[in-house]
Amino acid sequence: MGKIVSIHSFRGGTGKSNTTANLASQVAMTGKRVGVVDTDIQSPGIHVLFGLDETSMGKTLNDFLYGKCEIAEVAYPVGDYAAAAKESAPGRAQLAGKDLFLIPSSIRGREISRVLREGYDVGRLNEGFQTLIQNINLDYLFIDTHPGLNEETLLSIAISDILLLILRPDNQDFQGTAVTVDIARSLDVSNLLLMVNKAVPNKYTYENLKTQIETAYKAPLTGILPLSFDMADNASKDIFSLRYPDHDWSKELRKVAQAVMDTN
Amino acid sequence: MSQEFIRLKNSFLFKGLPDAVLEALVQKVIRRTFYEGEALMRRGEDGDALYIIDQGSVKIVTVDKEGGELVLNHCGPGEAIGEMSLFDKEPRSAGVIALEETHALELKQDAFFELLNQRPDLALNFIRSFSARLRFSSTYIQKAIEWSKKIAEGDYSFMEQFHTGQTGQFKADTDDDKAGQLLSAFFNMVKGVRAREENLKLQVETLTLQIDEVRRRQEFEELTSTDFYAALKEKAQAIRQQRSDKK
Ligand SMILES: Nc1ncnc2c1ncn2[C@@H]1O[C@H](COP(=O)(O)OP(=O)(O)OP(=O)(O)O)[C@@H](O)[C@H]1O
Ligand SMILES: [Mg+2]
Repeated sequence: MGKIVSIHSFRGGTGKSNTTANLASQVAMTGKRVGVVDTDIQSPGIHVLFGLDETSMGKTLNDFLYGKCEIAEVAYPVGDYAAAAKESAPGRAQLAGKDLFLIPSSIRGREISRVLREGYDVGRLNEGFQTLIQNINLDYLFIDTHPGLNEETLLSIAISDILLLILRPDNQDFQGTAVTVDIARSLDVSNLLLMVNKAVPNKYTYENLKTQIETAYKAPLTGILPLSFDMADNASKDIFSLRYPDHDWSKELRKVAQAVMDTN
Repeated sequence: MSQEFIRLKNSFLFKGLPDAVLEALVQKVIRRTFYEGEALMRRGEDGDALYIIDQGSVKIVTVDKEGGELVLNHCGPGEAIGEMSLFDKEPRSAGVIALEETHALELKQDAFFELLNQRPDLALNFIRSFSARLRFSSTYIQKAIEWSKKIAEGDYSFMEQFHTGQTGQFKADTDDDKAGQLLSAFFNMVKGVRAREENLKLQVETLTLQIDEVRRRQEFEELTSTDFYAALKEKAQAIRQQRSDKK
């Protein structure tokens, strides 16, 4: 049975989408069958990292949520078209032939505003996850979420086997993460992992940061990913950790990927 | 040999001159006394003399952005100040003030030129001495540039090549000339920067992880007190059960 891995942060802009895309890619590179769902329906973003745009995107998660199609119809096989981007996205091109499926959410204004206006049935979203795992026989289903603790996010947290919480090393994130950790515990999430992103290099003693975070949240800190210009510059065009495997950000990201795969 | 003769012979500027020339030079210098707080030269004044300090000490000062006094350096016995004024008549770039009763040997430009006319070999010696100094300074400037780049990258390893004096101040392994002074000022700056950086690191470390526990509880209760949450919790349990049955 495949595992659901939700990637979440209390505040926006922590790097959820980039982390999700890179984790999913790293895991897919090991030969696992991997799905990625963009549940940030209000402000989707992860499709860009996998090279999808408005013209190449047909049906989306939104169509499934409103009963217009089956979930498997909106699973885009990234491995089938990745090779075409050899020039523009050499990192992503390495996913050619791998079993990686992206379930994007719509970037059409009208469809986004419908979700904001009417909401949707979170029960159906959950059914979609379960069907996906079964029908395309996934080992892992990664879920990119909207920041904060709205209903669909709470659902993603509730049904995940592994919850990865991302935080930046600042007090606002520390506070919000504390509440999220409490919620995850209250919802009986069995595996809680933590990751720091956008850590200013050399500004903190990483050991000290790790101790403090693990003491406060009682969960393992699986990686401290540095704030980096290269990342800000390149990330959203390509899968950074595949393109720059020797970069410090990529090295730490692989530790997080390993921690996910080591979790039973 | 007079005290003046020894001072001149040992000073960086006149080192290596034949004794006969030094004797001639001694005839041209005037021994002067400055009291504590008295200015040997003022910033902006036309410079027309060089001083070699015999006894006492002086500070070299300029003005900072706010108009306050900024001490650039301290000089003591054997050191020369205002030597550039032997060749040009530029205004003084900094002021020099006696820190205590100070005895200095003053060599006026006119007297110096007179001597050069009589002894052309003296001119050659001066050119040699100045160009050696220039070469020496540029080597150190080159080093300073290299080190600055390292500091920018946070690499302080080159500091280990230099020894620390008893005062904890860095003293470069060079002659007591201006390049050496620049270097030791440079090292002290690096030390200061490094200390401040360490300090900042400590501040950041102690600043981390502050969680307001009251707010944490309040927010948790707000989020979990809804009907939606209760239903979700139940549903999540059911889903988990279902999935584990399938395994
Ligand atoms: N370590 C990093 N160093 C520098 N920039 C980063 C880093 N990680 C992410 N970024 C940049 O920060 C921005 C936000 O990243 P991303 O979209 O992955 O975050 P997010 O948490 O999904 O945001 P949102 O909450 O808006 O969905 C992007 O521009 C990304 O390139
Ligand atoms: Mg995002």
